[in-house]
Amino acid sequence: MKIVIKHKTDFSKADRLIEKYYDGLTTVEEEKQIQHFLSQPDLPERFEVDKEIFGYFDHKKKKLHKSILPYFRWASVAALLAAIVFSLQIYMNTNRSNYACIDGKKIYDVHQIKSQALESLQDVSSKTNEVEDGFKNLNDHQLIEQQLDVFSGL
Amino acid sequence: MLALLAGLGILPNLNAQNDLQISRVFEVYGEKKGSVMVELTDEMLDGYDFSLFKSITINNNLPAADFIRKCLAKDEAGAKKVKQVVSNGVPTSIYLQLPRKGSLYRLILFNETYKPVQKITLIYIESKNDSEDVLKLILKKK
Repeated sequence: MKIVIKHKTDFSKADRLIEKYYDGLTTVEEEKQIQHFLSQPDLPERFEVDKEIFGYFDHKKKKLHKSILPYFRWASVAALLAAIVFSLQIYMNTNRSNYACIDGKKIYDVHQIKSQALESLQDVSSKTNEVEDGFKNLNDHQLIEQQLDVFSGL
Repeated sequence: MLALLAGLGILPNLNAQNDLQISRVFEVYGEKKGSVMVELTDEMLDGYDFSLFKSITINNNLPAADFIRKCLAKDEAGAKKVKQVVSNGVPTSIYLQLPRKGSLYRLILFNETYKPVQKITLIYIESKNDSEDVLKLILKKK
């Protein structure tokens, strides 16, 4: 059953519906009718409170709808970026984690890894000693004499 | 997006070593028997602050030494050769200072010894510290 409330002609019916609304007994259709009624201009002053209540709810609904969307959009972009960065970090961690591989067997113990790394550094730096040893050999009198002996027979 | 990733410092790290031939040495010999490969990321190592430290030590493998020398010959292009020791016409020790990649200084150190056994050591280093300072630290006598 559809009740049409006409401006200034059926206020009592509107009163009944509003009262029913506050009692929580209205149907969706009836609430729509109240909203329609209250949205009309030049209503008597006694409907101002009801208008405010309905207007407040209506306004809040619209405001929420308007304000949430941009945030939601930005949140989606931020979530996407975070997912990409997170995936890249996982990729990097899996590809560049700390490990040592000895005879094909991987080790993840940091102390052992560092020990192996230091050993390889010492291998490289120890070369300095070999070069110095080489220079020492060049100055070795015995070696020079041996080399000169080769020419002494000529 | 790329600018963002570059800003986060992700892109240079992903590619800094990939443009080098020696990356193939780690791929080919890293997990083989007789090899010891080490990878350390953003770690302090005996006072050295490395963004990336990669090393490989290979024992008794002459073809590997030749392969590394060939790779180094290609990586030498554009790099500064800090030191080279040649023994019997063959480079047995090479230190390369590579061009900077972003904010990272890069170094390659190669060494081959024959006593008591043939042993190859190849090290690749990325650091935010000046590579000359890193070299001084490394080459100081232990």
